[in-house]
Amino acid sequence: MAESQSVVDRATTRKREGWVTGTLVLFCLASMVVTIAAGLVQVSFGEYSMTFRQAWTAVFNPAVIFDLDAWSSFLFGTERPEMSTESVVVWNLRLPRVFVAIITGATLSVSGAVFQAVTRNELASPFVLGVSSGAGFAVLATLVVFSGLTPFLPLIAALGGTVAFAIVYTIAWKGGTSPVRLVLAGVIVNMVFQSLQQGLFFFADDLGVVQTAIAWITGSFTGTGWEEVRIAVLPAAVSIAIALAGARQLNVLMLGENTARSLGMRVERVRFFLSAVAILAASAAIAVAGVVSFFGLVVPHIVRNTVGGDYRRLMVGCVFAGPALMVTADVGARLALGGTQMPVGVVTGLIGGPYFLYLMRKQQSMGEL
Amino acid sequence: MARTQGDADRGQERITDDNGIAVESALVGDSLELSYPTSEETVVDCARLDIPEEAVTALVGPNGSGKSTLLKALSNHLEPDAGTVRIHGSDLESFSQKELARELGVLSQENDSLSSISVEDLVYHGRYPYRGFFDGVSDEDHAAVERAIELAGIEALRDAELGQLSGGQKQLAWIAMVLAQDTDVLLLDEPTTFLDVHHQFRVLETIRQLNERKGVTVAVILHDISQAARFADYLVAMRDGELYDWGPPEEVVTEQLLADVFGVEATVEYEPELQVLPKRALSDR
Repeated sequence: MAESQSVVDRATTRKREGWVTGTLVLFCLASMVVTIAAGLVQVSFGEYSMTFRQAWTAVFNPAVIFDLDAWSSFLFGTERPEMSTESVVVWNLRLPRVFVAIITGATLSVSGAVFQAVTRNELASPFVLGVSSGAGFAVLATLVVFSGLTPFLPLIAALGGTVAFAIVYTIAWKGGTSPVRLVLAGVIVNMVFQSLQQGLFFFADDLGVVQTAIAWITGSFTGTGWEEVRIAVLPAAVSIAIALAGARQLNVLMLGENTARSLGMRVERVRFFLSAVAILAASAAIAVAGVVSFFGLVVPHIVRNTVGGDYRRLMVGCVFAGPALMVTADVGARLALGGTQMPVGVVTGLIGGPYFLYLMRKQQSMGEL
Repeated sequence: MARTQGDADRGQERITDDNGIAVESALVGDSLELSYPTSEETVVDCARLDIPEEAVTALVGPNGSGKSTLLKALSNHLEPDAGTVRIHGSDLESFSQKELARELGVLSQENDSLSSISVEDLVYHGRYPYRGFFDGVSDEDHAAVERAIELAGIEALRDAELGQLSGGQKQLAWIAMVLAQDTDVLLLDEPTTFLDVHHQFRVLETIRQLNERKGVTVAVILHDISQAARFADYLVAMRDGELYDWGPPEEVVTEQLLADVFGVEATVEYEPELQVLPKRALSDR
């Protein structure tokens, strides 16, 4: 007994919860710096020209930051108090776009990471598993046909995503699911839903709606404001919090289905629950920004390569890296071409696609974890 | 109480130890019929299987004889088409998944090559059945993990990543994880296959120590009949999904068994100790 006592002491002094590594802290700090820098660039440029100084003073203007009325107008849509023009441009037009990018970046990458663990498949992402196209179809249908339901977009998107994911899972199910069957089923369901999306265009009344719809299918932050922040922030916060808390479950899932079951996990139930969380996260993003391609697939890989495969670190890394990359990509989408804005999905697709190919070439074992 | 119920159920033959005293069974499979969901065919048909309490039982048999299938049923990974499995007298079905994981540790054959996890983190996963969704690590968890690492003899490897280890070291790490579960019964599916001789012995010695020091009941599938004959207290020989014979190795291992079950001609020596010397494959199989 004395022996086991000393053993306990040693274990405690080793400080077990030390999964936070220096690399992780550095990675998160660097991501934050990138997010802030890209965000500041984003608010400084635009049609209403401002100097960096002007823009930055407007961002850090204490008269706005500490004004409860202003915040209540941002977050709850109440009457906006009097502000200077700079403040209005920065706080009402440009900053919310950055916040939406932050929310979408975090949710999409967390969602991708969760899906990759749940399906034990490095190729999994909300897009591959049909969630994006299902949610996309649901949102598009709402915009084009049932425009009265717009306030419930995340819920509707989640519903569409869930339906698509359920179809994918059912097709792939055969006394258990295999990564390859899941991806194949996902590809097929994706095609069907994309056809449905394209079919919807014929129901659109005017060209403006079609243009919005296209921007939306590619994923775009153009014209996003506080309303989008209000729509997405709650489901995003809830799903990210649960995903972070579930990191240990994801780690055990990664040990393989048999081992997880032997350790007492009700594997199907945990998978189902965490998939639901991932769908909610992806839907929050899709509801406000559309289908941003490759993001949920690539970001977890970047984070994994840097901080390692432990989901406790991976999740935290994703929460920081996702926003950094998304805000940066949006800076590119908005400012790279000077006059015209691109949808951010074009940028992420153009960069994410080749990067993923590079990863595939570099890593020998891709496809199954 | 569970034990008396088990006794009442037991009408058939009983196993006895060297002194003729009846041995209790930790795990009992009763009229099991097993098949996989993907096929109709019954893979294993077994009237009764006993895993004696506080002893090491080795399951042996040629490839495809149903050893792994039987072990899956014993560990609740495969639901039997017919029959029941009882642990200490209670039906496996009556346990929740986590309760069962505190009674019964299982090491599957193919452990996916997850490479970026440290040995210590892996062993801590063995405490999963003791922790709730939001629970942190308790002192008890620390102690169990330290004991498991010490018993498996992998103190030196605790910070290494699984991907850097040899096959044998990996297997010891996985075994430590199962040991951290602190169960009375342990099922191991071919823990020594593909290991070099040194690590084969390390694994077997760990199992033996666990059995002797803690009285843990072990059922282990072993590929090598000579190894099984020397190592185990009881042997269960399987052939074509049926129990061919079972009992202490000295009684079970005969030249006839090696011919019938394994299809090899072999000499068996009983003095000074049980030894199996396979000679050649029999031609009719």
